[in-house]
Amino acid sequence: MGRLIAQRLLAMLPLLLIVSFLTFSLTAMLPGDPADLILGDRATEAQYRMVHERLGLDQPFLLRYVQWLQRAVLGDLGTSFFNSVRVMDAVAQRIPATVSLTLASVLISIVVGLSAGVAAALRPRSWIDRLATFGATIGQAIPNFWFGILLAGVFAVNLRWFPATGYTPFGQSPLGWLSSITLPALALGLSTSAAIARQVRSAMVGVLQQDYVRAALAQGLSRRRVIFKHALKNALIPVVTVLSFQVTVLLGGALIVEHVFAINGIGSLAVAAVRQQDIPMIQGIVLVLVMIVMAVQLCTDILYGLINPKARPA
Amino acid sequence: MTPRKTRLWLQPSYLAVMVPSVLVLATLVVCAIFADWISPYDPLKQDLISALQPPSARHWLGTDDLGRDVLSRLIHGCRIALIAAAEATGIAVLIGVPIGMFVGFRGGWWDWITMRIVEAMVSIPGIMVAIVIIAILGTGLHRAMFALGILYSTAFLRLARSVVLAEREEVYVKSARVIGASPSRVLLRHIFPNIAPPLIVQITLTVGAVLLAEAGLSFIGIGVQPPNASWGTMLNTAAVFMDLAPFLALPPGLAIVATVLSVNLLGDVIRDSIGRGIRTATPPRGRVQRAATVASDPVMPREDDVLRVEGLEVFVTAKTGEEVQVLSDLSFSIARGETLGLVGESGSGKTITGLAIMDLIGAGGRVTGGKVMLDGIDLRGLSRRRMIEVRGNDVAMVFQDPTTSLNPAYTVGNQIAEVLRRKKGLGTTEAQKQTVELIDRVGIPGAAERAKAYPHELSGGMAQRIAIARALSCNPKLLIADEPTTALDVTVQQEILDLFRDLQEEFGMAMLFVTHDLAVAADICDRISVMYAGEIVETAPVNALFATPRHPYTAGLLSASPHGSDGTPPLPTIPGSVPTPGQWPEGCRFSARCPYATAACKVRVPLIQGVRCVRSDEIRPGRAA
Repeated sequence: MGRLIAQRLLAMLPLLLIVSFLTFSLTAMLPGDPADLILGDRATEAQYRMVHERLGLDQPFLLRYVQWLQRAVLGDLGTSFFNSVRVMDAVAQRIPATVSLTLASVLISIVVGLSAGVAAALRPRSWIDRLATFGATIGQAIPNFWFGILLAGVFAVNLRWFPATGYTPFGQSPLGWLSSITLPALALGLSTSAAIARQVRSAMVGVLQQDYVRAALAQGLSRRRVIFKHALKNALIPVVTVLSFQVTVLLGGALIVEHVFAINGIGSLAVAAVRQQDIPMIQGIVLVLVMIVMAVQLCTDILYGLINPKARPA
Repeated sequence: MTPRKTRLWLQPSYLAVMVPSVLVLATLVVCAIFADWISPYDPLKQDLISALQPPSARHWLGTDDLGRDVLSRLIHGCRIALIAAAEATGIAVLIGVPIGMFVGFRGGWWDWITMRIVEAMVSIPGIMVAIVIIAILGTGLHRAMFALGILYSTAFLRLARSVVLAEREEVYVKSARVIGASPSRVLLRHIFPNIAPPLIVQITLTVGAVLLAEAGLSFIGIGVQPPNASWGTMLNTAAVFMDLAPFLALPPGLAIVATVLSVNLLGDVIRDSIGRGIRTATPPRGRVQRAATVASDPVMPREDDVLRVEGLEVFVTAKTGEEVQVLSDLSFSIARGETLGLVGESGSGKTITGLAIMDLIGAGGRVTGGKVMLDGIDLRGLSRRRMIEVRGNDVAMVFQDPTTSLNPAYTVGNQIAEVLRRKKGLGTTEAQKQTVELIDRVGIPGAAERAKAYPHELSGGMAQRIAIARALSCNPKLLIADEPTTALDVTVQQEILDLFRDLQEEFGMAMLFVTHDLAVAADICDRISVMYAGEIVETAPVNALFATPRHPYTAGLLSASPHGSDGTPPLPTIPGSVPTPGQWPEGCRFSARCPYATAACKVRVPLIQGVRCVRSDEIRPGRAA
């Protein structure tokens, strides 16, 4: 397993380099002079020169990239164009909300998707099967932030079961965290869960026709055991391969759903940065998100190796 | 039975999806074009006195926080949605397709670098890519849609590239190049037409995604900018006034859902109809035929019978939904230590017989008659729970292909130990110990080490030994072996047969050996039942069967078998093929292929004294038939 992880990590390096290069190139792609953004219209020549020197704009592009990358590896993503906030600090402060929202929605989509998928596979054409198919079709068409507004309207504004806005850090109050995260996580997770349910269902239906399922039944193992031990593990293999993609989608969705519930996560940080064209901030956010996506990919790769013996390096 | 080709979208189930979808989209287009004439109010006109009103006769969908008419804004939102979808999708196609075709055609470094950039873009959440591009371009509808266009161009790029890569190697493209056509000419004339079908499908997918993304970007405030009316900005207002005017969220949200749903559903129809011209085969109309009951000899009870099957009858549900009979009047018995061979061509019902005994036919079929007596107890009368106890403990089964009958996700040792723990109630260590002993017993060297192997790490012969070890783990009275050597290498077959013989001597179980190979049956069986079209046509001790076959079909099989004949050419074969279930003749099912068939064969034939042939005594088919 250690070898698998090492292999995967090594394979990720080039991608990380390319992403970092593309992100860094943002400054170059920006029309006009970044100093204009910082200084505004009325700046003296001396101020310009100072800013250029501070940003290293007088040096060659590639050199600047290498220097930037060096600092980034050491955890220094620079400072915001507009205030003296260090990008790393700003991102680190916002990331827990976004990540916990994403994780909670991943959890919901897996738990709901898995159980509904298995139930649907065991009883084709039953109500649960139809619900999963219907849910997946609708889920693809519903903007999850709208679903979030509806949930908030019913369960927060009307019933007052959950707070309508805000995020409580887990460290501050685990229960408060749970109640602040529930509605946004449901808004995000439920539509994905229908998609996962459909994948689980089709994988499960295929696996249940396999010889080894019949052989296990012939060996006198109970139907439940055969389904949940022998069939499920094999049915999960194709599901896990698309899981990292689903997590990426959920992470993107979280950036928008945060807005519904006024959660101060990466989403609002990014929107503010975009409005001000705060390039270092955007670069930092993109890099951190890519690292998260890669960590997720690594996890699903490991998971894949765990459930599929054929995928392990000999 | 004539397959006829139908236009897919004209089928009722598709029309039910298409008509509403087309209506929704048509409404959208009409609203978008004629928004200025249709909307009752100016979508930007504020009226603060009548802000946040619920639906009324004056404002059908109420008003927003600035007193603007929601219906009018919704209608003008259609225009934004249409522009957004067209712009972003158009840009995505215009960027993605040419670049994809170019790098696919050119290959080399161009291809490598482009694909790495695409990978990098795909690894970031799409909305973040759009946010970054908007950071460079600035906010607003057209800029945001340009960003989305770049984002979704990756899908078109990959699509165009893969089509080009596939077509590049096609003969006609190569020959076009050989005759000196210029690369761009080859691309445009020969390859481009092949991109069209998947392109259309991808466009429908993209349109739906663009609509959702536009709404999302406008919602968080970096897409369409207020006061312009887009569904996303309307939802932004709705989110703010959630507690004061909950109704505000409904119109724009429902508009998005209806539009995206319609686009997606239409896309599905297009994909299906491009994918394949659906062929609908009309199922053969006719009676659900059930073989007439017939007075065959009863199975003579013997002292040491383990299994006695009497008059077994099985139906399965065919693809057409009709139930067809696959087994009829099936009777045989197997004694302790005896091996009965079930021999016949594929489709004769051998395998389903084994599964029927174990009650494992599955949801697609059912046993409709007969008895399955195991040690004097009718298994068909047992509860589901009791039957689970019988399986593994009293009856076990070895399947044809060991590489598929062992679970690929668990070690072979785990799969044997699991049975020992579950069925014999052993503890983990004891089960482990016995597992190794069993693996050793079936002749696998280094048993303890092998127990940790996964099925795909073993050869076919070794995997089959494992499957046999698992089947014998609870010392069953009856072992059903379903073509256990067919999937194996010829050199391994004999070893496995020897193993079966040794194990039977040691464990003393009765064995039902299903095979289509007469030589294998001759090798291992004591008696043989020959099956044809769902019934037994002859049962005899192995020597008698080979020496003097009494049924014309048996005789035909023997002379068609390379092992059975003395090898002198030409090898005779039986003309024709086994009638499929549902197509059985009413009388003797072999009559259509039988050289001896007469009028007497038109009625159902019973199995008398081990043979199902009315002319058996007079024709004496013998070996040389």
